[in-house]
Amino acid sequence: MREVTFLEAIRLAMWEEMERDPNVFVIGEDIGRMGGAFGVTSGFFEHFGEDRVIDSPISETAIIAVAVGAAAAGKRGIAEMQFIDFISYGFDQVVNVAGTWLYRSGGKTPIPIVVRGPSGGYVGGSLYHSQQFEAWFFHTPGVKVVQPAFPDDAYGLMKAAIRDNNPVVFYEHKYLYRRIKGAIPDASEDYIVRLGEARIRRYGSDITVVTYGAMVHFALEAAQRLEKEGISLEVIDLRTIKPLDMETILESVCKTSKVLIVYEAPKTGGVGAEISARITEQAFEWLDAPIVRVAAKDAFVPFAEPLEKFVLPSVDDIVFAARELAAY
Amino acid sequence: MGSTRTRRKNGQQTAIAYHERLEKSDLLEIYRRLWFARIFDEALYDAKKKGRLRRGNVYGSRGQEAIQVGTTYPLRPDDFVSPIHRDMPVFVFRGMTPEQVMCQIWGKANAPTRGKDSWSHMGDMSLGIVHSTSMLGSTIAVACGVLWAQRLDGRRDRVLVAYTGEGATATGPFHEGLNFAAVHKLPLIVVVENNQYAYSTPVELEVPTETVADRAKGYGIPGYCIDGNDVLEVYNTTCAALEHARAGNGPVLIECVTYRLQGHADHDETRARQYRPVEEIELWEKRDPLPRYRQYLLKTGLFSEAELPEPPPDIVEQIQKAIEYAISSPDPEPHTALEDIYDESAGVSR
Ligand SMILES: Cc1ncc(C[n+]2csc(CCOP(=O)(O)OP(=O)(O)O)c2C)c(N)n1
Repeated sequence: MREVTFLEAIRLAMWEEMERDPNVFVIGEDIGRMGGAFGVTSGFFEHFGEDRVIDSPISETAIIAVAVGAAAAGKRGIAEMQFIDFISYGFDQVVNVAGTWLYRSGGKTPIPIVVRGPSGGYVGGSLYHSQQFEAWFFHTPGVKVVQPAFPDDAYGLMKAAIRDNNPVVFYEHKYLYRRIKGAIPDASEDYIVRLGEARIRRYGSDITVVTYGAMVHFALEAAQRLEKEGISLEVIDLRTIKPLDMETILESVCKTSKVLIVYEAPKTGGVGAEISARITEQAFEWLDAPIVRVAAKDAFVPFAEPLEKFVLPSVDDIVFAARELAAY
Repeated sequence: MGSTRTRRKNGQQTAIAYHERLEKSDLLEIYRRLWFARIFDEALYDAKKKGRLRRGNVYGSRGQEAIQVGTTYPLRPDDFVSPIHRDMPVFVFRGMTPEQVMCQIWGKANAPTRGKDSWSHMGDMSLGIVHSTSMLGSTIAVACGVLWAQRLDGRRDRVLVAYTGEGATATGPFHEGLNFAAVHKLPLIVVVENNQYAYSTPVELEVPTETVADRAKGYGIPGYCIDGNDVLEVYNTTCAALEHARAGNGPVLIECVTYRLQGHADHDETRARQYRPVEEIELWEKRDPLPRYRQYLLKTGLFSEAELPEPPPDIVEQIQKAIEYAISSPDPEPHTALEDIYDESAGVSR
């Protein structure tokens, strides 16, 4: 086992996959000589060379498109968005080009790419460096969406995403990059976390909390606080947002009968809405209370601290919502 | 080493010395604006270092002042600009107060964005300052819409100066915007601040042509490649571009060759001396546009040494006061985060 930061776990996963498979390459802005704005590819350029570690011009469309085209021709490109917000310039490539290719090739041409980058708020990044619009791609057929919360999952999921034959959008919460540390398996173990499997990060009996990304840590903190009040939360870390692991969610719902869904994106039309709908469709009679969502307010992520705090969900928000739900 | 890059071989240059028409007071004002920009930058770095500015990045423009000053000085009050992250002083040159700009940087309630966004992501259409976003290049295309609205209003003579780094000329919207402007002969002046690095990426990895100005050929428009550290050359070229654009001849691209003396932002100071040769930085320190212009003014014989203080103390004071004002200004009320998402004030277009 190795004790590493969240960021280092992602770095090592990519590194080891590039060592294992010469078809894997990385492309992005400032990722080569500088090693990436956050240093996720630090050392790659020197080790793997400029053909597999591509310093791109500021061209998100091309960055994703190169990964897509190379994927159609048998390679596995990892495209870094300096901030995941900038994926909007490459939206068409993800949704219309990568997403549909297998479908329009009669199942012959899979597009194994990973589009990855730092996401999320809580760092004063303001409007264009804080977004969590996983719902855009959640809504897109043919695309998988991943967001880990712990180093071991980040490591195992990144490896799985690279090996997966489909386009994967991989959200790395920048708040976790250096704050969260943990043990990951040694390279020799070939550790993989299969896409589409949630993980229960804390067992409990009163309320099922379904969440992902940085919110997992908030939920765990809330759970700790509520334990003293005799309220027991079961925290499910989705890890993969699409495809959704409904089995794990439903099993937990049947046990607790109460559900709190926590996500950082604006509440309306978010991933939580789909989860909630599926639970009511598939386990309505097991529920003892309405499903509750804690999410960001329907706004952009503003700059000033009091504004950002107001918009984004907090540990307190989870605690209050869980208390009310427990009392229902 | 790319240190001697001045890249003026292919670019067009203006032969007309428009600056000879400037009054002594104009020459002095240009001097003071250069210093305003310099002190502005220094004061923010200082505030960040001392922990007085605790949120957001500071994108320095040390060394690029001649572009900010030279491109704005010849503008008419009714022209437009769209400044980006290395153009903060332009907001002031085009009519915002230093207090407003500082409040924006400190995220205060009385900032143009009311604390919603930071740094250069602001504007004021009543001053002709077009809001840009972080999405590099996107405002070049937006500029076409602003100019089209002028056409609809019968105001084809209003020009828009859109700023961009050389790196951002690699984006799709840069190309689409400039292509559109050229096809429709919109009075758009694109000022490319070629400071030779986009974050860590050298210009060779952003732009394949010998000069950035060469890109203009693809749109069939004039492309100037000039010394961006010479405020009068920038001024003269802008004057020529304005004449061209106002006369209905379409867009102009001006590449101002300069150098980013600091890191990409304040967090990048150490690294920026690793991914770039230190000798290169030192060489460009010597091409500082401020002493160069001062030298020129002294040579004209119009000014005494004492008339050209380095820095002008009243500007230092003005900026410091603006910072104090921002720091003591109220933070936005949390609930205002939900304001300005939709405008429901009227059912008809304004
Ligand atoms: C579409 C997009 N991609 C990436 C970024 C991240 N980013 C911010 S500034 C910058 C470098 C910009 O370089 P350049 O255009 O040359 O301007 P400079 O910063 O040198 O003034 C990058 C890559 C962004 N803001 N927008």
